[in-house]
Amino acid sequence: MPRGMHKSRTLRKVFVKTPGGKTTLHYRKRKPSKAICASCKKQLAGVPRERPYKMMTMAKTAKRPERPYGGVLCSPCTRKLIQQKAHQVEEKK
Amino acid sequence: MSIYEIGRICVKIAGRDAGRKCVVVENVDDKFVMIDGNVRRKKVNIKHLEPLAETVEIKDKASHEDVKAAFDKLGLAVWDKKSKKPTERPKKVRKVKKKVVEEKSKKEQKAEKKEAKAEKKEVTEQSSEAASSEPKAPKSKDSESSDKPAEVKKEVSVEEKQEVEELSAAKPEETKE
Repeated sequence: MPRGMHKSRTLRKVFVKTPGGKTTLHYRKRKPSKAICASCKKQLAGVPRERPYKMMTMAKTAKRPERPYGGVLCSPCTRKLIQQKAHQVEEKK
Repeated sequence: MSIYEIGRICVKIAGRDAGRKCVVVENVDDKFVMIDGNVRRKKVNIKHLEPLAETVEIKDKASHEDVKAAFDKLGLAVWDKKSKKPTERPKKVRKVKKKVVEEKSKKEQKAEKKEAKAEKKEVTEQSSEAASSEPKAPKSKDSESSDKPAEVKKEVSVEEKQEVEELSAAKPEETKE
């Protein structure tokens, strides 16, 4: 029987094969939700889905696309935003 | 003519240089243009550009210097290639122990060995002479003939000794200096 704390689904189950050939059940923390675009709410590509301790060990360039608003906006939204900004500056002139 | 004629100032929309201003330098074909300015000079798809109203007078296939001059007039920044010079790694200098003293000792050892061998030879020869000379007379002549070079060897060996001693006396002084 599982322990009382393991009856809820807060932790995810991982089946681990031991050296002796048995499969045992391990409980691990769940991964955070996928990163989404701030404007269109689509899932972002190029942003890893890891727990913070693992994100800390990763390089900055491995955690987000290397462009303005990378890791915040998706690429189509970024394009739109930059286009709008460029034209706003022109209108002001 | 498309709007992306040579000298048209654009804003880059996609990629690493997104949001930076650039100038069309060359029309590669109906889809691609060559850009330069506040971006890395490269061939890009016109879908990745947003044209602005401004234009600059530059030649077809203008060099980076020309673009730089034109951008300076407008007061725009220019992306300059930062080519890093590979820094020379500090080479580890091995600490070489001064084995001069040891070498000397080796030399000396060798010399000593030689001398010892020579002495042994002489001893054996003498013993053989002593053994051979008594029973048979004719062989003694040969032994006499062999004696002479042995004596010469002795002298030589003595000279060598002296030299080695001198060297050994002189070298430590050098090392001290």
